[in-house]
Amino acid sequence: MGCGMESVLVLVIGACLSAGAALVAWLAHTRSPGSIPAHTAAVPAAAARRTANWRWAGVTTGLVAGGVAAASGALGRGLLLAGPVFGLCVLAGVVAGEISVRPAGGPTRTAVVEVRRVRDYLPHGLAKAVLAAAAVLLALVTVTTATAGPDDLGRGTVLLSRCGPGSWEGHGPWAGSFYSVPLAAMVATGLIVAGVALRVVIRRARTGADPDGVAADDALRQRAAWTITGACGILTALPLAGVCLVSAAALLSFSCHPAWWTYAGWALLAVLIPTAALMAWCAAVLLAPARAVTAVLPAR
Amino acid sequence: MTDRPLLVVDTGNPTPPYEQLRRQLAELIQSTALSPGDRLPPLRQLAADLGLAIGTVARAYRELESAGLVRSRRGGGTRVTATAPSLSDSERQRLLHNHAKAFVQQATLLGADEQQILDAIAQALAT
Repeated sequence: MGCGMESVLVLVIGACLSAGAALVAWLAHTRSPGSIPAHTAAVPAAAARRTANWRWAGVTTGLVAGGVAAASGALGRGLLLAGPVFGLCVLAGVVAGEISVRPAGGPTRTAVVEVRRVRDYLPHGLAKAVLAAAAVLLALVTVTTATAGPDDLGRGTVLLSRCGPGSWEGHGPWAGSFYSVPLAAMVATGLIVAGVALRVVIRRARTGADPDGVAADDALRQRAAWTITGACGILTALPLAGVCLVSAAALLSFSCHPAWWTYAGWALLAVLIPTAALMAWCAAVLLAPARAVTAVLPAR
Repeated sequence: MTDRPLLVVDTGNPTPPYEQLRRQLAELIQSTALSPGDRLPPLRQLAADLGLAIGTVARAYRELESAGLVRSRRGGGTRVTATAPSLSDSERQRLLHNHAKAFVQQATLLGADEQQILDAIAQALAT
């Protein structure tokens, strides 16, 4: 990679980090602690503490496991899988926390006549952004897998361009099947686990049926749904950023290539900015979930 | 205070839990606290909230369906039917009287006198 290209990448990464930092600051400003329902104080302390402990255990395990994954694997494949590994650990923590919540015991049991739905607890804006990132990631790795060429060991890790009769130029890493197959498997697994986790959140028993208890229990569920969405965001956005970055670097490194490759390279670098913003948003949700829980849910 | 109705199941009561559930849901439907088209909680959710077996809740729903009060559809859940009969004024009065009688009976067993019973009702109405 040339010196000019490196400078451009440093500038782009710097811009992404600045955008992310600005977004985190904005989120911290707009999601003030005052937006947490006052009823939260009424949540049975044990349930709130258990779910929080499990959630933090998931985040901590995810950071360690993601770090281990990033440091392992050939040709940077582990680095690409670090995001999904982190996301899966967080999801496991949320599920364990929700399963640990037990309904109020005793001979007299009460229940509210209501239908709890996943969409009532999800952060709609963030969920749409995560779905968009997953769709872009799917489209991108489909294209990179289809266009990848074999390296010296026959693995799909490079992009080849024909410069003349019998003359080829190749650059990598390129997200061919060597990277995309395990990545797709991990992301698909993560999204399925997220679906299961959301069902667990919705179906677990209420901790109480009095009005304050119901509102506080809803806040707990909403917090869990935000965490799940945030984990899915990291799970998709981190590999998307990686694929965009290496693909752009490969596309812009060729000395002979179709003109549109340059535009495609810059377009991929442009995708990095919203992707970094999404990662920052998700990190803010995961690391400060209490600030992200909005007002009490509307009556159903 | 939530405007969503509550279901209460007393496992120490000799009446089977499914019958307690059926009776309360039937009253909610007939008093139009649950309107035609309203969806009942999913079986698993209600069973988890009440700490009952799914089969217990399913039996209550089946009984309600047999009585024409609800209709279950695969994928659409269990909903109150449009033709569910509503309570007449006399029937409503009779049910109210029965509930009051049961409450007074329980309160008397606890040793409460008439004033304490009236105070308890006033307190419940105020919350």
